[in-house]
Amino acid sequence: MTPALQQGAQVVQLRHARAAARFVRSTLSIAVPVFLVATLITFLLGVVSGLDPAAGIAGDAASPEIIARIRADLGLDQPIALQYLQWMGQLLRGDLGTSWFNGISASELIAQRLPISLSIAGMALLMGLVFGTGLGLVAGVRSGTRIDRAITLFAAIVSSLPPFVVAFGLILVFSLWLGWLPSSGYVPFSEDPAGWLAAIGIPAVALSVDVVADLARQLRTGLVSALSENYVTGAVVRGLSRRRILFVHVLRNAAGPALTVVALRVPMLIGGAVVTEAIFNMPGMGKLAADSALRGDVPVVQGTLVVSIVLILACNLCVNVLLGVLQPAARRRS
Amino acid sequence: MIRNLLRYPSARAAIVILAVVAMLAAFGPSLAPHDPLAQDSSALLQGPSAAYWLGTDALGRDVFSRLLAGSTVSVLASLLSVSIGMLLGVVPGLLSVFLGKRFEWVSLRLIDALMMLPFLVFAIAMTAMLGNGLTQAMFAVGILITPAFFRVSRAAALSVANAEYIEAARLMGASTASTIRHHVVSKVLPAVAVSAASMTGACLSIVASLTFLGIGVVPPDPTWGGLLATDLSALYDRPFGPIAPALLIVATVWALNALADAMRDAGTQEQRA
Amino acid sequence: MTTLDNVVSLDRRARRAEPADPILSVNGLRIIAADGRELVRDMHFNLPRGGTLGIVGESGSGKSLTCRAILDVLPPGLSVASGSIRYRDVDLSRLDATSWRALRGVELSAVFQDPGSYLNPSIPVGRQLAEAIRANLKMQRKAARDRALDLLGRVGFADATAVYHQYPYELSGGMAQRVLIALAICAGPSLLIADEATTALDVTVQAEILALIDTLRREEGLTLILVSHDLAVVSQVCDHVIVMRSGEIVEAGSTREILHHPKSAYTRSLIDDHAVHPIAVNRPQSADAPQRVPILSVRGLHAGYGIRTVVQDIDLQVAPGEILGLIGETGSGKTTLLRTVLGLIPAATGAIELDGQRIDGLTGKPLRDLRRSGALQYVFQDPLRSLDPDLTIGASIAEGLYLREGRLGVSAIDASVTAALRAVGLEPELSTRLPRLLSGGQRQRAVIARALALEPKVLLLDEPVSALDAVNRLHVLKLLRRLADERGIAQIFISHDLGSVAGIADRVAVLYRGQVVETGPAGALLANPSHPYTRKLLDSAPRLAVAAPATRSLFTVY
Repeated sequence: MTPALQQGAQVVQLRHARAAARFVRSTLSIAVPVFLVATLITFLLGVVSGLDPAAGIAGDAASPEIIARIRADLGLDQPIALQYLQWMGQLLRGDLGTSWFNGISASELIAQRLPISLSIAGMALLMGLVFGTGLGLVAGVRSGTRIDRAITLFAAIVSSLPPFVVAFGLILVFSLWLGWLPSSGYVPFSEDPAGWLAAIGIPAVALSVDVVADLARQLRTGLVSALSENYVTGAVVRGLSRRRILFVHVLRNAAGPALTVVALRVPMLIGGAVVTEAIFNMPGMGKLAADSALRGDVPVVQGTLVVSIVLILACNLCVNVLLGVLQPAARRRS
Repeated sequence: MIRNLLRYPSARAAIVILAVVAMLAAFGPSLAPHDPLAQDSSALLQGPSAAYWLGTDALGRDVFSRLLAGSTVSVLASLLSVSIGMLLGVVPGLLSVFLGKRFEWVSLRLIDALMMLPFLVFAIAMTAMLGNGLTQAMFAVGILITPAFFRVSRAAALSVANAEYIEAARLMGASTASTIRHHVVSKVLPAVAVSAASMTGACLSIVASLTFLGIGVVPPDPTWGGLLATDLSALYDRPFGPIAPALLIVATVWALNALADAMRDAGTQEQRA
Repeated sequence: MTTLDNVVSLDRRARRAEPADPILSVNGLRIIAADGRELVRDMHFNLPRGGTLGIVGESGSGKSLTCRAILDVLPPGLSVASGSIRYRDVDLSRLDATSWRALRGVELSAVFQDPGSYLNPSIPVGRQLAEAIRANLKMQRKAARDRALDLLGRVGFADATAVYHQYPYELSGGMAQRVLIALAICAGPSLLIADEATTALDVTVQAEILALIDTLRREEGLTLILVSHDLAVVSQVCDHVIVMRSGEIVEAGSTREILHHPKSAYTRSLIDDHAVHPIAVNRPQSADAPQRVPILSVRGLHAGYGIRTVVQDIDLQVAPGEILGLIGETGSGKTTLLRTVLGLIPAATGAIELDGQRIDGLTGKPLRDLRRSGALQYVFQDPLRSLDPDLTIGASIAEGLYLREGRLGVSAIDASVTAALRAVGLEPELSTRLPRLLSGGQRQRAVIARALALEPKVLLLDEPVSALDAVNRLHVLKLLRRLADERGIAQIFISHDLGSVAGIADRVAVLYRGQVVETGPAGALLANPSHPYTRKLLDSAPRLAVAAPATRSLFTVY
């Protein structure tokens, strides 16, 4: 390396470090307020619900004094702002409170059920990414051909299917007719990996179809517009191979909006698991949330929501980092 | 725009489907051949027959009548959710572009926060904890789809905010309100209309999901999603039971999506002409 | 593809030794659109090795399509219907993708208009250059890097390493074009196609890029096709010229022949565009006119964005009926200056007076009142973008009137709109049309009518004629001059086109790096510039390479 180049490389390293620092700062300045607002909404939901465990704990015959004492023990007689601060303080220490229903800590309840929801949502995300990217690539590169139209049509139909309809269709075919996959129940991965895969197969596919359709459509649009950009003509004229132009130059610029779409889908994935868990009768976090909500178990509902929010936020941060790596120019301009 | 729209075969099909759905929603309950709640214990879980066109459910209720009767609630619920989402999303989205940095930052963070909420779970939590009813469900869904409308109207407003004709108006002394009224609204409305169409489809699917889980509408009142739930629980006895309500939901959602796509295409075509 | 293999494996020096046979021959080329429209008809030429061919024509003449057909990168939907393109002894229409890849970059290469857009926005330009080198010359990573740095130096970058790591958006148009040229020559091609490569660049940058292309052409022994809408640009570099119009060759021949003995009326009109003063309006010499009280005056003005000062210490006056031409290149601060006067950017220090009233530092209601009075009007560069596409021309013109006097009846506003349209020479019927249905010239008049409807005292015009063709440019310039002479409207007229400024302005101010470096009566200043920058600006302007007849004035540009 020539000295000049070395010096240039140092300048670049410094610039990259600065850009990275700026990126982290800007990301945090968005993520922290968003986390605070999202959890505040969650907290206020409990307040607005007006649900009160004291009467339930004390029993029907309890005197108002006893109820008041229980309320005081639970800290429910304090101003809402103070209650929020206490709740947030516990939250940051990992304490999600205790179920009003059975007295078990919410973290424990959630920890038991989280693997199920994560398995389904994670597998759905993975399948969505793989198949969505594949279909989007084919449709974008062969835009205007019959295969493109077939994929576009498939995406249009699939995205008008509610996940539970897809789930029902899959059950009908794979469980009832073919008998290949179970239609309910869950097997932990550690016990039986094949059984695990079979159990989460249908729910994950049902949940992933929306991601597949969204990603394929967005990637196709992005590819078609990127392929008509001047820099593609420039690369062609420079004598670069089609494959190199597609994978090094075009995909990089077309992937941004597609990734954003995936990030937007994550809340649906994590939130949508509740339906698939209900259909397949799996004791996941979504089912826990739904059951707890229906019986007014505020701390557990809040706990599941907070855990979900953290997961969603983490996924979004990952996508942001990926976007920054793919399109550094866009990052620095914004 | 309408004439352009009708050039798309998918748009024509979508309009026909939506017209039928609108008819069902308006007159469905009065068209039902049987009382949707009446139970006929002599005819449980029957297949299609002359008396019961789509058969009966486990309690001997006429599925066809329940489907018709459930139309009004299903369609109205999604329309109202979309209205709430539009009301809460469109105007702040517009203003976030024109009201200065502080308002922009705050509104963006609020919308970001709404987007971080786990969609269905949050809708369930909200509905259940505010008292399980259709109004609560619509309100919850409306709030949760607010970001979609915010983003669409903000993006459309942003794309014209720095246009030279906006600056020209400002240089002639136009106020922000008058600039928005004269120059921005007409650019934002088409985009909002497109996403309203596709969001109505999404809401229909969401409301169906909620009622499927027994949230929002309490049995025995019929809804499309609720019908699916009961049919699904009787899947072994009547494997074709869920097809009718599922088809109805899918056709409506598809029609709304197709209409949205065609509107978008017609819009870009018009710009190019 | 045995012929191609032969071609590619030929020793380059041996090939260059025989300059007689054509390196590129195009015969009966016909390009059609998907709907069957003919876009290029019977295009034909033989280009000898080392030759320089210029193709001239207005947009839509088919000159760029011809180039794209040669490179096989026609826009989607267009195709070569018939004719042949031969590069050496290879028929390009029969090449498969692999052979094309072997040919492009190594034998044929190209640079284009809007160079920044031909670079991938997400990858540093040096890496794109190294990538092209590695792809075409099968070099190792490090060798490719070194060659890339070397090439960046050759195309004129003093600090090649810094540029190597920059992203396209960090480069100016001229810099991006240099990178594109480095990319084009990186694998030692024989034929370079430069398609409007200097269009939309500042004149001084344009001159530098043209000189660079010419130098590299000599050093590398390149055969060159230079495409431009500007006959002057082509005539400076090329031996031969083809004039195209509506997809056909109008005239072809040696540059000297074309310039001295044009056969077609169209070629003559192209030459006339350059040779003749664009405007021959009789304008009063402000030097002789009595000193008038300025209507707008700017004193000691500093302004910029945030902490960055863009214009410094500006002193300018313009009197009623006077046109002040403001000359300067991209980044010189012309637009910033106008925007400061308009109150869109706050002035850091200094004073701006309109009709004796301070207007700098106004905000809120006083600013809005000033704007509603209509005394100060601004005309944007691009009329299409400054008109709301959803509003009719009439509605756009009426907007300011409504804002100023909402109580005025509809009929009174209609009358004002009609009068304004008549004043700029447009039929009042046009008021019901949408902007996109008007021609470029009509739109620019409509925008002037919008300003005129408010009876302004001062008109600020930002490159008002740069998007217009020669005929419309002349009409609009005459219109502006008449408005100054008959209505006494003072004007500040920004242009990079020295011809327009020379024709219309009473006085000229030259802006360079945010400062007025020279100001004076238009004729005297442009005939005899005192500041070196003004001289450079005048020298850089492309002019026809034919020896100037004695009678022709200095302003032979454009």
